[in-house]
Amino acid sequence: MTPPFPSRVLITGVSNPLGAEVARRLAPQVPWLFGCDVDDPVSANEDMDFVHADMRQSVIGKLVRRLRIDTVVHLAVIVDSGRGDRATHETSVIGTMNVLAGCAGPASSVKRLVVKSSQAVYGARPEYPSVLAEEMASLGRGESSITRDLIELEQLSHDFALRNPECRVARMRLGYRVTRETSLGRYLSQPLIPTFAGFDPRLQLLAEEDAAEAIALAALGKQEGAFNVAGDGVVLLSQAITIMGARSVPVLPPYAGWASRMAIRSTTGVRLPSHLAEVLMFGSVVDCARLHQEFAWKPAHSSRAAIDLFAQGKSEDVIEAPSPPQEYELQRYLQRRKRERRHGAGHAALTAGP
Amino acid sequence: MSRDTVAVYTDAPRVRRRHSRDAKVVTPAPGLRMPRAVRRLRRNAPMYAIQGLSDLSTRLRELTGREIIDMNRVMELVQFAYQQQQLAKRGANYVVDDFGFDAEWTESFLPIFKALYRDYWRVETSGMEHVPSSGRTLLVANHAGVLPWDGTMIKTALFVEHPHPRHARALVASLFMGMPFLSWFLRRTGQTVGHPDDTRRLLERDQLVLVFPEGVRGTGKLYADRYKLRRFGRGGFVSTAIRAGAPIVPVSVVGAEEIYPMIADVPALAKLMGLPYFPVTPFWPWLGPLGMIPLPSKWRIQFHEPVHVEVHPPEAADDQNLVMALSDEVRDTIQQGVYDNLKLRRGVFI
Repeated sequence: MTPPFPSRVLITGVSNPLGAEVARRLAPQVPWLFGCDVDDPVSANEDMDFVHADMRQSVIGKLVRRLRIDTVVHLAVIVDSGRGDRATHETSVIGTMNVLAGCAGPASSVKRLVVKSSQAVYGARPEYPSVLAEEMASLGRGESSITRDLIELEQLSHDFALRNPECRVARMRLGYRVTRETSLGRYLSQPLIPTFAGFDPRLQLLAEEDAAEAIALAALGKQEGAFNVAGDGVVLLSQAITIMGARSVPVLPPYAGWASRMAIRSTTGVRLPSHLAEVLMFGSVVDCARLHQEFAWKPAHSSRAAIDLFAQGKSEDVIEAPSPPQEYELQRYLQRRKRERRHGAGHAALTAGP
Repeated sequence: MSRDTVAVYTDAPRVRRRHSRDAKVVTPAPGLRMPRAVRRLRRNAPMYAIQGLSDLSTRLRELTGREIIDMNRVMELVQFAYQQQQLAKRGANYVVDDFGFDAEWTESFLPIFKALYRDYWRVETSGMEHVPSSGRTLLVANHAGVLPWDGTMIKTALFVEHPHPRHARALVASLFMGMPFLSWFLRRTGQTVGHPDDTRRLLERDQLVLVFPEGVRGTGKLYADRYKLRRFGRGGFVSTAIRAGAPIVPVSVVGAEEIYPMIADVPALAKLMGLPYFPVTPFWPWLGPLGMIPLPSKWRIQFHEPVHVEVHPPEAADDQNLVMALSDEVRDTIQQGVYDNLKLRRGVFI
């Protein structure tokens, strides 16, 4: 009898909200779930073993071999950040190189690799086709640093897939997401939104839960290659602003991307990555036909539904979440308890309960 | 009236309120409330104005025996204003397609383009029966005039003259898709970037696609070179049509060459401003914005018999020999159509 596949899954970058959601979805479906990140987990998950590990070091290979991981879900990729370009490059490209090196080799136990990427891999230019298919990723040389990093890491994953035919690699290009954590979400949450004069770009959005579902499906599946993941349909920026109950202030000069980003940062405090400045001028829409066909699944929320969800959630009060260290402690405790239950009848008296 | 009908009527507003997502209580704006008579007058003012104008129109017709004020045209303008008001009210509750096309918004501008079509350029259109009522079709036309007014007139013709009005989706040079305001207007009214992939996608959605293979070489030619068709690209439009299985309908336009008689081009200025050409006409740039008003030449548009490229298998799209031959066939049809229509036109402005 062959063991069920996947049986031992490792999620990197599990401490961001998307990673936590993917872990929550995968937990009931796989026997062994491991997660690693540099930061403490954001929410407790008793079915997951958490390891502190830095992707930028080669420890990941050791981890993969020791734990005999067969499926790696690589989510420690920065797809949206206004932080320093160098730090982003370190995490995205060097981190991915380490993960790939850890999974490589003929003796490797890894048979499935899912890499998170983003719609940002295309960038946005006026001369690009209106609807971007998967093979159009490197139309330009990458105007912004995130686009360049994503192109590079996708190239690395592609090369890895060619050299290691026994490992199936899927690259999930997630659409732009609007949450409190993403730059686009923070940008749209302002009461007055500075926009580029004379532009009303088409935006294609992806709801957070659809993103997590797509990654989880990919982890359990066999599909290979790059996949665009985004909601159906298009929302114009002006529509999105109206839905968010905000007002647009079309004052930003066109083409002056850097100056405009500075202006947005000084007026609203939102650090807009440079690829988003391009998207806010020229728009970005992708073709998800491959995803629909090969996964026989499509995101439950359209682009319009994604922004509606965000707009409705905006006014709700956020329930104060426990601080991460507490969460971490709680998780450690739950795991210890679970392990004790599983192993020793001798401890049964100590952990009495149903 | 039965009791059921009454029940339906009384139920209606409650049901609607439950389904509306962003229902909010509308309170009257605080401030001075006008007396009832003033409010009524303000509400009815547009109606009174139209009535007065209509009376005046009838009186003038009786006096002179000619139509001085055409009430149909006036009503079209009123309708335009009303539609704009209605469009402003829809907020974010509308849908654009993947290319950013907003059909409702586009149709609201039709009265203006119809007025240009009928009264300004007095366009005479023939061969509309060659444009199918449904299904994918590629319209190929000659391009002239400094600004693409010929595209708008072909689109208007399809809406005014065709028994089943259709939106033509024109392909625009990528240069214009990067320009503020212009790109916004073009996308919103159904245009998209001139990329083979966009053409394929639109044809696969059974749309009517309008392409000008001459591109800016056509619009940027001098008045002395008028009605001499330029090279039709590399025949890329034929390959795309063969792959998508769409017939090609050649369209010849006469009249667009004279709207801005371009006597010279200043390449240095064009390069400086990032434009494909910088035109000099008798009025531009000397008169400033007034120089952008197109001249009222007499136009003729002819839709020719389709060239059925869809009979070829998709692999034929890679046969450069066949593609160039078909491209030349389309070009010759248009060139011949241009000459025919020039003969039929009595003069440039009549």
